[in-house]
Amino acid sequence: MKLIISNLTKTYKNGVKAIDNLSIEIGTGMFGLLGPNGAGKSSLMRTIATLQSPDSGTITFGDINVLEDNMSLRKVLGYLPQSFGVYPKMSAEDLLDYFATLKGISSKADRQKIVKEVLEITNLYGVRKKNVAGYSGGMKQRFGIAQLLLNSPKLIIVDEPTAGLDPAERVRFLNVLREVGTNSTVIFSTHIVDDVKELCNEMAILNGGRILKHTTPLEATKEIEGQIWTKIIDRDDLEGIEKTYNVLSSNYNPDNTINVRVHATEKPAVDFVQAAPQLDDVYFIALKQDEPVVA
Amino acid sequence: MFSTIFKYELKYWIKKPAFYIYMAIFLFLALFIAASSAGIFDFLTISAGSSKVVNSPMGVIELFNGLTTFIFFLFPSIIGLSIYRDYKSEMHTILYSYPFTKANYLFAKFLSSIVIVTLIVIVIGIGMFIGFRLPGTNQDIVGSFSFITYVQAYFVYIIPNILLFGAIVFAVVTFTRNIAAGFITVILLMLIQGIVSNLLSDPDNRFISALLDPYGAEAANYYTRYWTVAEQNEQLLPVKGVIIYNRLLWLGIASLVFGLVYKFFSFSQNAISFSFKKEKSERVTKSNFGGITRINLPKVNYNFSFIQNLKTTWKLSNTDLKYIIKSWPFISIVLVGLIFILISSTALGQMFGTKTLPVTWQMLLVPGSSFSLFINILTFLYAGMLVHRAKIERVNHLIDATTIPNWTLLGSKLVALLKMQLLMLLVIMIGGMLIQVYNGYYNFEIGHYLYELYVLNFVHFVIWALLALFIQTLISNPYIGLFALLVIAIGMPFLSAAGIEQSIFKYNQGPGFSYSDMNGYGTSLSRYFIYKLYWLIGGLVLLIYTALFWVRGLPHSFKERLQIAKARFKGGTIIAMALLSISFLGLGYKIYHENNIVNRYTSSKEREEQQVAWEKKYKKYENAIQPRIVSAKIDLNIFPKKLNFTASGDYLLVNKSEKAIDTILLDHNKYPSTFEFNRENKLVSEDTLYNFDIYKLKQALQPGDTLQLHFTVKNKPNTILRKHSPVQSNGTFMNNMELFPSLGYSGGELTDDKIREKYGLGKNELRPMPSDSTALGNTYIANDADWIDFEATVSTSEDQIAIAPGYLQKEWVKDDRRYFHYKMDHKILNFYSFNSGRYEVKKDKWNDVNLEIYYHKGHEYNLDRMMKGMKGSLAYNSENFSPYQHKQARIIEFPRTGGGFAQSFPNTIPFSEAIGFIADVDDEDDKGVDYPFAITVHEVAHQWWAHQVIGADVLGATMLSESLSEYVSLKVLEHEHGKSKMRTFLKDALDKYLTQRTSERKREKALMYNDGQGYIRYQKGSLIFYALSDYLGEKKLNNALKKYVEKVKFQEAPYTTSIDMVNHIRAITPDSLQYVIKDMFETISLYSNRIVEVKSTELENGKHKVDIEFNVSKYRNDEKGKRFYAEKGGDSITFKTEKMKKPIVSVPLADYIDIGIFTEEEKEGKKKEVELYLKKHKITEINNKISIIVDKRPTEVGVDPYNKLIDIKSDDNRRKL
Repeated sequence: MKLIISNLTKTYKNGVKAIDNLSIEIGTGMFGLLGPNGAGKSSLMRTIATLQSPDSGTITFGDINVLEDNMSLRKVLGYLPQSFGVYPKMSAEDLLDYFATLKGISSKADRQKIVKEVLEITNLYGVRKKNVAGYSGGMKQRFGIAQLLLNSPKLIIVDEPTAGLDPAERVRFLNVLREVGTNSTVIFSTHIVDDVKELCNEMAILNGGRILKHTTPLEATKEIEGQIWTKIIDRDDLEGIEKTYNVLSSNYNPDNTINVRVHATEKPAVDFVQAAPQLDDVYFIALKQDEPVVA
Repeated sequence: MFSTIFKYELKYWIKKPAFYIYMAIFLFLALFIAASSAGIFDFLTISAGSSKVVNSPMGVIELFNGLTTFIFFLFPSIIGLSIYRDYKSEMHTILYSYPFTKANYLFAKFLSSIVIVTLIVIVIGIGMFIGFRLPGTNQDIVGSFSFITYVQAYFVYIIPNILLFGAIVFAVVTFTRNIAAGFITVILLMLIQGIVSNLLSDPDNRFISALLDPYGAEAANYYTRYWTVAEQNEQLLPVKGVIIYNRLLWLGIASLVFGLVYKFFSFSQNAISFSFKKEKSERVTKSNFGGITRINLPKVNYNFSFIQNLKTTWKLSNTDLKYIIKSWPFISIVLVGLIFILISSTALGQMFGTKTLPVTWQMLLVPGSSFSLFINILTFLYAGMLVHRAKIERVNHLIDATTIPNWTLLGSKLVALLKMQLLMLLVIMIGGMLIQVYNGYYNFEIGHYLYELYVLNFVHFVIWALLALFIQTLISNPYIGLFALLVIAIGMPFLSAAGIEQSIFKYNQGPGFSYSDMNGYGTSLSRYFIYKLYWLIGGLVLLIYTALFWVRGLPHSFKERLQIAKARFKGGTIIAMALLSISFLGLGYKIYHENNIVNRYTSSKEREEQQVAWEKKYKKYENAIQPRIVSAKIDLNIFPKKLNFTASGDYLLVNKSEKAIDTILLDHNKYPSTFEFNRENKLVSEDTLYNFDIYKLKQALQPGDTLQLHFTVKNKPNTILRKHSPVQSNGTFMNNMELFPSLGYSGGELTDDKIREKYGLGKNELRPMPSDSTALGNTYIANDADWIDFEATVSTSEDQIAIAPGYLQKEWVKDDRRYFHYKMDHKILNFYSFNSGRYEVKKDKWNDVNLEIYYHKGHEYNLDRMMKGMKGSLAYNSENFSPYQHKQARIIEFPRTGGGFAQSFPNTIPFSEAIGFIADVDDEDDKGVDYPFAITVHEVAHQWWAHQVIGADVLGATMLSESLSEYVSLKVLEHEHGKSKMRTFLKDALDKYLTQRTSERKREKALMYNDGQGYIRYQKGSLIFYALSDYLGEKKLNNALKKYVEKVKFQEAPYTTSIDMVNHIRAITPDSLQYVIKDMFETISLYSNRIVEVKSTELENGKHKVDIEFNVSKYRNDEKGKRFYAEKGGDSITFKTEKMKKPIVSVPLADYIDIGIFTEEEKEGKKKEVELYLKKHKITEINNKISIIVDKRPTEVGVDPYNKLIDIKSDDNRRKL
């Protein structure tokens, strides 16, 4: 099933255009939505998740007109917001039972069955009697996945799920997500490029409410094959280099020198070395092109 | 650092719109209340005139304090929020690592929020100041502006209260990090205040309750309780004694609370939590290596059907209910509420220190309006909590993205709220039954409990719940929502002050209901249910609006919410809305139609204007000579099942005057009637508004001629919304005045002189002076008859007994109806009653007089006491005054819903079920009066004091009937139960007299010239005649009265007056006591007697010498309560010691005052007071020192120790040694 978004626009009361005439098609599999903080990722995802209505535009998922018939979408939707709370003094088991009820599972036996399963999938079965409010960040995020699975969703939207997770939790989380994503559409926003690289078969870069690039991680890096150059420079030279070249990133080395990565179709200068393109580079190139031109 | 935080906080508030909204709300409230009390709505509703100045110091402080109470509900979100905000925004994680001290932080936060609150409160003062003076207010009742009054209110009462309640709320919110907790604290404090004042309601506890009342109102009341209207208007509230102690005490407690906050507050990241079990600690690690699992979700069924959603609604409501029940605001209110109920029950229906039996209807009254306010507050609070909880806990995005329909979510919250209300109502039922069990009363009427609580009360709360969900959904902050709801709920009834009187315009208002054992809910329920149905439909309309505006997903701007609501408004919603709106408006119109078009609706303003027009139009007939009724023969049919009556009657009228009469002024009532005279006549004026018709006789009625009037009366058919007859299904009680026509102008004029002036009417003297010999032609009972022959046939349904004055001539049954024919063998006043009910009868005899009590089955408890009362009264009166004129005396019970009184008709005494039949008299308890006995004695005494001696319709007439009946009641009580029981009665009478005279609207006159106020004719009258019998001797006084009775009983016009009776008493009063007559009858005189110092020394012979220093002073009040200390031209006496700031002033004294010395003796294990010495001393000075030698060791000394005299401060007359 395909998610088709066309000409979506949303302007907030304070004048910020969070989504700007956005159109995109997303198919089955993992879709990574990459963008810096404030790019409009959450706005977009909330809009798809029926929590917010756009000013204009349409969204369809399969034959569901999302904006007109949000109940039909909610039946197949699994949503994990960027941050969420839980009712205090309720155990994971009780809360999941509560969500299962909200999601329309009427029989008690069914609820028990599926709650047990999602707890096992997310490795929370051992702590199912503990209050969710007392969970650590990773556990809570896994709980988020657990509740999302309750209605066997076809469209899964997860908003920056890996932020703040420790490496082990992150890996585990991504594994579960990947497992879920084999048969459904998973839209997954992040500002961590690695998440996308490791997981997604499709991706888009979003900034200022617009899609800057819609591609696949492989294709994206292939596209800039041979256009990434790197050089180790002294701190004092940085400003000059930034002026002269299209610097994508610069980071310190332990010896106080700086590594710069530059985008150029041809070798910018003799002392630049060609580097293997990374997804980061794609990301920065896209953002760079979108930056307001300073006169 | 302090000033940085302090300034930051102030800036925060000053920039916030809420600050200005609060100010605007309070400004409006203060303006509205002040202006309406000063009569700005006089053009819409009844005039606010009165002899009270509305902005007197007392008035200002009461209003100021009252409005400030509202602001306590804002404390959690202003004072509580100051620190909570840092938690909520998680600012505290950064802030608490900054280098400022705890003191800086706490003081700055606390003081800044206190400043904000005091600023909002200043607005109340400004609002009041302007409100009293808005154009359109009546400046006659507004005094000049007194700045000091406002300052005093602000600094003595309001700021300390703000500090106290602020500190407590600050502490609670700071420690619990929970605004709701702060809120509940405010409610609990109010509850506790209620409990304390309930526990300490006894006058003996007034000092303690003055000290303990956190608001300080009781402390002020301690001094101002007995202030007369003049004193209230003029005097500043004192700042002395217990007021200062009270303020210091509570300021101390406030500082203590704040000190505790300071001590225990720490810059920690987590709220303090209390845990009763100690968790054992362990090292926790999590597994960091997880494999890849295959996801294979089990197949489950998803059901999105309507039925399933209904089931889900129920299931979710249980989750919500669990949350409510587990939350401690709920728990604490339930607990404190239960305690409140149990404590309230200690003074259950108490009269004269005696409780009533804990019957179920009485139990259902215990929670009263305060408990239903708590149910409402919980409803308002949890409506907000349930609506906003998901958002507050940030679960809303998870929930909102599920398939649950909005209506299911909303429905589940509504159902949870209703279940909570049901639980609260269960608390009332359990509380009631606990009290019943505790009192050994096991007649549980579970059905009655369930019906009243779960049907009648529940529907009322449901309607509030619907409004609560609506408001809480519209307003995004649950505490502001709560505040708005409180203002609506408390303010709604007050809309009447602005002329909005009809209930259909005021949410969830309408007629109430009340229950009596005899008549159940009577006929009130059909109207109750129709209004509740109307508002329930109104509430459901709101529920649809709530659903339309329900927030799903991100919080929206209001504009967006409007758009969403519009989008949601389709299909079934439109149909439901249309149907509900049509039914709401339709039913509303039906009610409006019934009340305004089918029946004439008279607003209170119109009523006032009609009174004026009535007087202007018909007063000229006041002295028109009319024939007098000399006999009445009545046929009355009562239909208890259909609640109808039909009646016909024949009056025989005689022209007793010396002039011919050609005009008959017939004053009748609103019932459909026909009138027929036996002489040719013409109806020259028919007034359907005042029901005052004028007939012209073709041939004038010559002196001595007779005229017959035949009339028929029936009620209009009853409708479901209106009952047009006074008939009850069981326990009907009607009298001739409400049913049958009378002759001549009947008075009923406006009494307030200021309002009269507004309408161009002269001052109203109410009645002529007794010295006006031209005004003695009528009794105060009737102006169209003297003594009449009476005969009546009354029919009722077969299962009931019908009673009218007279002797039963015949009783028969015909066509399923029972007939009773009564006839009087003796002339009676034109004043008779009709009763009908399913009665049991208890019979007895006193000499040859038949005694009967017609009572409701199950109300047997006090029949013997009442029988004894009848006998005691018959004996005392006939022995001391004159023989009993009848051969029977009957008491007839009537439902409490008809009133809580008894009334004495000729040998027939209707007696409310509430004032004796279910009294729980404890003969062992000296503080409890056997009031079933006492009231019976009083009513039977009226057979002499009203039915033999009847005063002319002039000032002071009620002294001859009510005061004397009360005197007899006291004397019989004293002979039956002993002197010690009298103190409760006398103290109660004194307190009621002194209290009730403070709300006098017109004037207070001396006893023998009184206007008929209850507090004068009953309370003051009983005190005075009791004291008089003490001064003169009971026998001597009664002999004088006997002479008087012999002279005036059954007399025709001119009728007797108080002057005549007082003269009889004066004649037997020795010269030395003539002053008593003046003090008691002719003037309003009050004592202020006090023991100053007492010392007792044991003498060598084993006796004891008691040195007593005491003060006696006396002053007089004028009509308005202004004090006078001189008889004539500055002859007052004074006393002043160096310590005193102001001298004591008194009217010249030559008074005889009791000095008593007491000791305690043990009798049967109980301590009893024994008189060692009691003697009247002649007192001529204010300050007196005497020495008395007594035989035993004294324990207590008193000046006027039994409070026989009217003493403005009765609790300092005795001193314990």
